[in-house]
Amino acid sequence: MLDEIINQIQNEFEKDILEADSLKKLEEIRIKYLARNGSVTLLFDKLKEASKEEKPVLGKKLNELRNSITEKFNSKKELLEKSETSAKEFIDLTLPGKKVKLGSKHILTQTLEEIKQIFKSMGFSVFEGPELESDYYNFEALNFPEDHPARDMQDTFFINQKFLLRTHTSPVQIRVMESMLPPVRAIMPGRVYRNEAINARSYCTFQQVEGLYVDTDVTFAELKGTLVSFAKQFYGSSLKYRFRPSFFPFTEPSAEMDITCFICNGKGCRICKNSGWLEILGCGMVDPNVFKYVNYDSEKYVGYAFGMGIERIALLKYGINDIRLFFENDLRFLKQF
Amino acid sequence: MKISLNWLKDYVDLSDLSTDEIVDKLTMSGLEVEDVSDENELYKNFIVAEVKSVTKHPNADKLSVCEVFDGKENLQVICGAPNVAAGQKVVFAPIGTIIPNGNFQIRKAKIRGVESNGMICAEDELLLSDDHSGIMVLNENLPTGKPITEALNLNDVIFEIAVTPNRPDALSHIGVARDLSAIFNRDLHIPEIKLKESKKKASDIASVEIIDSTNCPRYSAKVVLNVEVKDSPEWLKNKLTRIGLRPINNVVDVTNFILHEIGQPLHAFDLDLLEGKKIIVQSTTEEKEFVTLDSKVRKLPKGTLMICDAKREVAVAGVMGGENSEINSSTKNILIESAYFNPSSIRKTSKALQLSTDSSYRFERGTDPGITKYAAERAAHLIAEISGGEVAEGIIDVYPKIIERKEITLRYQRVTKILGYEISKEKIHQILSRLGIALKDINETSLLASVPTFRPDLEREIDLIEEIARVNGYDNIPVVPKISITLEQKVDQQKFEDEVRNIISSLGFSEMINNPLESEWEAKLTGNPITLANPQSVEMSCLRTSLLAGGLNSVKRNLNFGVRDMMLFEVGNVFNKKSDSSIKTFEDISEKQNLILILSGKEEEKFWNTQEKYFDFYCLKGLVNAFIKKISLDNQLADLYYSSENEIYSYYLTKNFKQQVVGTGGKVKRDVLNKFDINQDVFVFEFDLTALKQISPESKKYIEPPKYPKVHRDFAFIFDKNVQYLDVKNFILKKASKLLKSVELFDIFESESLGRDKKSMAFTLEYFDESRTLTEDEVEKDFNYLITEILKEFKAKLRG
Ligand SMILES: [Zn+2]
Repeated sequence: MLDEIINQIQNEFEKDILEADSLKKLEEIRIKYLARNGSVTLLFDKLKEASKEEKPVLGKKLNELRNSITEKFNSKKELLEKSETSAKEFIDLTLPGKKVKLGSKHILTQTLEEIKQIFKSMGFSVFEGPELESDYYNFEALNFPEDHPARDMQDTFFINQKFLLRTHTSPVQIRVMESMLPPVRAIMPGRVYRNEAINARSYCTFQQVEGLYVDTDVTFAELKGTLVSFAKQFYGSSLKYRFRPSFFPFTEPSAEMDITCFICNGKGCRICKNSGWLEILGCGMVDPNVFKYVNYDSEKYVGYAFGMGIERIALLKYGINDIRLFFENDLRFLKQF
Repeated sequence: MKISLNWLKDYVDLSDLSTDEIVDKLTMSGLEVEDVSDENELYKNFIVAEVKSVTKHPNADKLSVCEVFDGKENLQVICGAPNVAAGQKVVFAPIGTIIPNGNFQIRKAKIRGVESNGMICAEDELLLSDDHSGIMVLNENLPTGKPITEALNLNDVIFEIAVTPNRPDALSHIGVARDLSAIFNRDLHIPEIKLKESKKKASDIASVEIIDSTNCPRYSAKVVLNVEVKDSPEWLKNKLTRIGLRPINNVVDVTNFILHEIGQPLHAFDLDLLEGKKIIVQSTTEEKEFVTLDSKVRKLPKGTLMICDAKREVAVAGVMGGENSEINSSTKNILIESAYFNPSSIRKTSKALQLSTDSSYRFERGTDPGITKYAAERAAHLIAEISGGEVAEGIIDVYPKIIERKEITLRYQRVTKILGYEISKEKIHQILSRLGIALKDINETSLLASVPTFRPDLEREIDLIEEIARVNGYDNIPVVPKISITLEQKVDQQKFEDEVRNIISSLGFSEMINNPLESEWEAKLTGNPITLANPQSVEMSCLRTSLLAGGLNSVKRNLNFGVRDMMLFEVGNVFNKKSDSSIKTFEDISEKQNLILILSGKEEEKFWNTQEKYFDFYCLKGLVNAFIKKISLDNQLADLYYSSENEIYSYYLTKNFKQQVVGTGGKVKRDVLNKFDINQDVFVFEFDLTALKQISPESKKYIEPPKYPKVHRDFAFIFDKNVQYLDVKNFILKKASKLLKSVELFDIFESESLGRDKKSMAFTLEYFDESRTLTEDEVEKDFNYLITEILKEFKAKLRG
């Protein structure tokens, strides 16, 4: 009985394999005979039903059948594969590839991340504070006396007498110092607001990064060292710089750091107002009055602080001529970075 | 502030220094020179020329054809000024000259058909004044052909200096000269006064009374009699015009000169217009109106410090004089006010009147209470000298409580500790002395500094250290390339938001940054907005309550730009009032960080091998779930579906952590989109990142992939249309044996042949066991059981 079936399968296979002229047809043959539900495989299942005497003989025959079919199948497959690669169909490889949607982080975010990375590598922590601040944190505790012209340096959006939109990230200095004892080494990035007319040069909001380091042996020389190291990592190691005295109520002595204008290489141009220098940040030694507000002993502790605007840095670095482009969110702009 | 280099040279010897050197040192010691205007450059080609003849232009009524002699030859020049006449000496700009006003170059030109070889200049073209009524007519004795830099002494250099608010002492020529004397270590010369006084005593002629001595600690007055009010002499006019001031008359010009020389604002009253020849300084006790000398009616708030005579107000103290007592052409006798006012009082007045003058600018920063007498005397002396008047004897000086010099101890070691390098004691002494600081009690470790009253900013040791540092030059401070490492715990409060941005952008979204200030209607769409007390405009009068309006505005802008397909996101703070009562503490404010995702337009464009496909709710849901999976909160958050609309969405989904909604989003309603003028579908999801940050993600553990084969079975049923996918899926999972590991929907369709209220859903079931190979039988059994149960539960029909 099984003998007959074996012969029948063998014959059928011979016919099929002869007619197979493509890999696709060959695959059909594999499924018909050799796959899990193929006729040869199923025969092995039937072997279980055979008597004890028949089993060895039939088993041998079945194995021979499978081996012969497998061998013929394989040699035919090899043959077909060879011919298919030599006489392949025409394929146009110049057709466009799949359009993959790429997202993007805002150029200001990328700029900020780069700055954060540099300071984090120097051991600075990252802290945040609220954008809606009290007058106390934004001005008073930073040594801006009431009714002092220093308050005119920053046009302020007020919520009421007591609350306002922070005009700088410096209030986070106070919050951080209130929450811990020295050593404090932190940068404090965030959004700030200024009540300034919106035009190509200025906007009513921008981002700043504040920095603060307080310990027993901090010096102005070390402040210079840290900021020069930052500037060289961010703008390139060949840069020239200078520190110029300035005034901020919460630092004393105060300075502004300029770098050689990289648009004109210091020769003087419209961007640097013909000075050859670009101001990149403000800094100084923490004023002892500020320490008073956070109950730090100003005889024991010395600190430095610095702050820089992200928009300004990105404008300069990427040659963007209008600050409003940052807030329009035109995808043709966003996707460039 | 404009500072003239020639004027500076009256007080300090700068003759051996180049302009560049002076500019650099000023900037590098804290007086930032923002602009330099060198007259030698500005006027380098202009010469004195003589007009030989003037004839009418043949083709233009208002133009003249002039013959001009430049010292070498006669040139034909067209001139449009009405006052041009033969015989005049004029300022002539030859071809090639650059005209300062407008920065244009003179070229050879034909004007209405007649050739012109240069230009005859008016004052405004040379930036000498804003007069354009006619050409400048020069003194006829000036030699023809001479450069005007020599002939008119236009050889000054004008600096524009930005003085920081802490340096009121530098708001004058002597103030700047004092810094230069310290920087270059040379002497400062303050003019001496040789007063010639008459026998008449000032105190017999006029009197001064201070009622509000808190706001007016000192009032000094000099009286000058029998002056002749007329134009100032050339030297004085020259000094004032150089720094951009318009000469008025000899009396007013002297007061302006003193202000810019030494920084003390003065005011001259017509003494005969002062009732009772009396000055009373007091604050107003009620609101008043007052006419200032610019003829404007000013509303004075209660508490404004005023200068009064016996009957009425005559000046707004420290800000501006009154029209009623102004110096005029018939003034004979004058009283010169030289006072010290409380800075914050003047600042309040100046703010209230929205009026800032050269005087108020200096008073509110703090003038020198010690200089009032000197300034009044110097002014009286100059006025008498140039107006022919006589100075009454003595000074009226009311100074009830003398403001003493401050004394500060400076420790040398502290200088080193703050700056990080040592400056020699000799250098420290030199710098401080040059700045006018008297040194007392000098010993090994410290000195006692007596600070002059013109430096109100120097109050503490650290202030002196800054003076030393800046004058010695920040360049001399070493750059220490080290940072002392303390291995304290590091914190990064922005780690989460940074990660969120990375994930969202990698899903294909582009990051926006929108203005957090928006209009009230926008802010009210999504919350209880906080309003600004002083907004720039109604469009920016509130803080955003969510990121929705900003996002939709960006969608709109992109549509305007012709960009229709977008995936946008933003991370930003949003603000809400917690109740309707006013904000008194931080407790009344909610400031949170949100994340918004926006989809609009096409997900797939039509392409050679794909069909176009528009974004829909399921795209949004899939992306939201991908994000949640990436931050490992997929097993922490539960979904709730709302098929009916709320204020913003037609239908929506919320993500919930326990009872708290941490995210909401869906299809934005048409009427909301209409408000933003958006005419295509928009899908939005907004997360509360502050809340997400609080949820601790599940810790990830490795799960070994199954070793034994999986068995798949498919089935499809016809359901009533209102049967929900999730109900069927959950039912299958509930009824199935433990071997069923997942259920996936792989097809859904509706058709006529199925029936109008029917739909077909097809599922793939995946069975496996971690420890063995499954048998066909056990899978078949469970599969058949599920079919029976589904048919029963949902009254469904098996399709195959
Ligand atoms: Zn430049």
